[in-house]
Amino acid sequence: MLSVKKNTYATFKVINGDIQLKLGVFGILFLLLVGILSPILAPLDPYHYGQDILNGLGVNGHLLGTNHLGQDVFSMIIYGVRTSLMVAVISALISAVLGILIGGIAGYFGGKLDLIVSECINAFMMVPTFFLILLVIALFDNSITNVMIVIGLTTWPSNAKLIRAQALSLRERTFVKSAITMGESKTQILFKYIIPNGIFPVLANTTIGMSNAILTEAGLSFLGLGDPNVISWGQMIFMGKQYITSAWWIATFAGVAIVLTVTVFYLLGDGLNHVLNPKHSNGKGGE
Amino acid sequence: MKTKSPFIKIDKISMWYPQKSKNLFMSIREERKWIKAVDQVSIELERGEILGVIGESGCGKSTLGKVLARLENPTNGDVYIDSVSTKELMKKDTKKFRRMVQIVFQNPFDTFTPRDTIEQILLRPLKIHGIGKTNAERREICIKALESGGLRPADEIMKRYSHELSGGQLQRISILRSMLFEPKFIIADEPVSMLDVSVRSEIINMLLTLSKEKNATVIFISHDIALTRYVSDKIAVMYLGKVVEYGDSDTIINNPKHPYTQALISNCSSIDPDEQREIIKIQGEPPTPVNPGPGCYFASRCFKASKECFQKYPAATEVSEGHIVACDRWY
Amino acid sequence: MNQLLEIKDFSVTYVNKSKKVYAVKNVNLKINKGDSLGIVGESGSGKSTLAMALLRLLPEKNTQITGKANFIGKDLVQLNQKELKNIRWNELAVVFQKSMNALSPVHRIGPQIEDIYRVHKPNASKEEIFSRITYLLRLVNLSERVYTLYPHELSGGMLQRVSIAISLVHNPKLLIMDEATTALDVVTQGQILDEIVKMEQTLDVTRIMITHDISVVAASCNKIAVMYAGEFMEIGYVKDVLKNPKHPYTRGLLSSFPSLKGEKLKLTGISGYLPNLSVKQEGCIFAPRCQQATEKCKQEKPLGVEMNENTVWCHLYSSGGELINEDQKPVYKD
Repeated sequence: MLSVKKNTYATFKVINGDIQLKLGVFGILFLLLVGILSPILAPLDPYHYGQDILNGLGVNGHLLGTNHLGQDVFSMIIYGVRTSLMVAVISALISAVLGILIGGIAGYFGGKLDLIVSECINAFMMVPTFFLILLVIALFDNSITNVMIVIGLTTWPSNAKLIRAQALSLRERTFVKSAITMGESKTQILFKYIIPNGIFPVLANTTIGMSNAILTEAGLSFLGLGDPNVISWGQMIFMGKQYITSAWWIATFAGVAIVLTVTVFYLLGDGLNHVLNPKHSNGKGGE
Repeated sequence: MKTKSPFIKIDKISMWYPQKSKNLFMSIREERKWIKAVDQVSIELERGEILGVIGESGCGKSTLGKVLARLENPTNGDVYIDSVSTKELMKKDTKKFRRMVQIVFQNPFDTFTPRDTIEQILLRPLKIHGIGKTNAERREICIKALESGGLRPADEIMKRYSHELSGGQLQRISILRSMLFEPKFIIADEPVSMLDVSVRSEIINMLLTLSKEKNATVIFISHDIALTRYVSDKIAVMYLGKVVEYGDSDTIINNPKHPYTQALISNCSSIDPDEQREIIKIQGEPPTPVNPGPGCYFASRCFKASKECFQKYPAATEVSEGHIVACDRWY
Repeated sequence: MNQLLEIKDFSVTYVNKSKKVYAVKNVNLKINKGDSLGIVGESGSGKSTLAMALLRLLPEKNTQITGKANFIGKDLVQLNQKELKNIRWNELAVVFQKSMNALSPVHRIGPQIEDIYRVHKPNASKEEIFSRITYLLRLVNLSERVYTLYPHELSGGMLQRVSIAISLVHNPKLLIMDEATTALDVVTQGQILDEIVKMEQTLDVTRIMITHDISVVAASCNKIAVMYAGEFMEIGYVKDVLKNPKHPYTRGLLSSFPSLKGEKLKLTGISGYLPNLSVKQEGCIFAPRCQQATEKCKQEKPLGVEMNENTVWCHLYSSGGELINEDQKPVYKD
């Protein structure tokens, strides 16, 4: 109990110490809240095609106007948070889990295995990710699930590289050697010592990866490859661009929402990097 | 020839690392180069005996420790404990080997994972090896061990994280944890070199008492020659991966025969200001052990070297009972 | 007088947002010309802080230095940056444990030393510099060939020799060596110490040697100062202090070192841990770990007791230098 309390306090102190992290954490909390409470916060059902077509700001009670199908833009933006967060979290999770497992195994076991895996990672990094995603989406169904999986499957190499480098240095650390002499098996060492101690850079990278995932999804939607059954900001821009001269609000506010959300994730990632990177920490822990 | 086989027999153990060639094309034409970190080391030890291994940095003493603890697999050779081949044992029952052979590391600040409390760190190996039936029982064992090592209050210490303890405390915990397994063979790799002088002696005395209690054989690796003499019964001097001299610790310190040992000991400063030092100067510093030879590895720096020394590695000669020197010009 | 450096009431405090750490507390020290003083102490004893503070190399933002450090007529504590620049290397030089890392890896050794030489003597001729540098290299037992080599072509011991040579380019009056031989191997260390002692016979240089290893001091110094938790415990001639230590801390420290060739006495060491330096302590700083501590020790800070040129800060001795209580004779535990 005591240690939990102590840790919470310490975490709070760290967050308070870094302005970027502070902004990022508050931003994420705000976005989560909006995502969870969107049915309450949204004044209208965004899937409802109403009578008010292309209404301007504030007209007929539509705070941010309506689009060409009569949907309420404000409600769409609020519901869009859900899509963006979902894409961000799920694709980042896929990418992190894959990256950590592959990179961790390669780095810890080393030798020929590492050589092969490293080359695979390099090969993957050379592939133009966005076009690969385009191809997959164009060939298969363009559902949001597919988008998330494809983003996850194409972004793991950077995570793998990070954790591999960590594993390479961690396996030379004394506590890993001492764990070996204590009779722990290789799997135990990988999951108990290597990964938990080397995960921090991956965490920071994953947060930044999340913002990239949001951007990718928006990009796909903008190109008309988004999921038509889901409300997403990218799609709003895609649809709004035809009306940009007459009804600028459709695309603009969705764009602003994307920029803000991506910024929040970036701030969080950068802040985490500052706090978790041993180079920046002030002399705590070992050498 | 002894009739009884020794308790621990290190049999021609070698650890060679392939040297990475800088030039890709050269590596095809040239024959492969080896860094011979440990080269054909053979030592026999009795039960409860303490062997000190001394030498300069890069002489392979730490690699020897790692190989003996099987943190790395030797390129060649084997170690027999009580006539059991550890090579076979590693294949059949790794855990049993780990319980038999323990190592104490140089850096106590890094011996424990920073994410766990001392309690978790101590309980884990017990659980892995099935010592104690319940967690409460294992906790009891740990508390008893900590208190026997003068770490009081044990309850309080078990709750701490490793960065909240001092180096001396951590090294004691490390030794006590190794002792939980009742090992037969302990390798202490510079166990006190990172600690303050005033706490060193407590750690050393604790290591000596515990190993005597358990009748374990100890290999004490250190660059501190005076300390090694204090600790050990036998001393082996290493140079570029080979044992150049081996014998009783007092014999080695007071009557070294190998020119390298002589130089090493003459350069070792004592705390007694009256002790006159006659420094034997040797040229340069140890080269890297990349394909050394064919002659004596020390010949290029040796003040006694003759032509023959550069041609053939000298055989080990027993100059007196149990005092072995790998030099042809020791007299 | 032949006095080179006099430190009076010298204190160094690290100031942090939340706390103050009293690293060096009211120390007094005199160094005469030609002395070689070894300051020994464990980690956290403040020996390095003391040296860094004398050199004024500590970050000024979060350190407070008080007291006086009179170095050939100038107070080191009061000097401004410009005056410091003039003194450093000219009169006061330093060699660190990792001094060799300061050498640039992409320049040859010689030109690097030339540049350093020109900092204080911008108009020196090439020949003058060359002869000076080769003289110094010979002094530390290096061949002239080193002049044209790159740092990576030299071993650690040779690089540290180069560092020592560099520290001597301007013939400093005081040389501070902060753990300068610690990272080296036994053989190299032994040889360098030997060279330093021999070198001093030809050069007129006073040396402060900071180390945790008493044997280094025994081999290379004539005076020793034992430091613990930011205070001096005992200062005196090496031959007196090491043969006949007066302070219980010195005794404890010496009993932690096994002798190389002498009898195998049981190592005892000192139980307990370094006190928290962020709390000001009443009484003798060593009292909590001292086996012979009395009530007085816990309440009153001992004053320095002089006895034939050696000083001890301990309540066991009267101002004349005799043991106050005969029962309190030095105890050698076995």
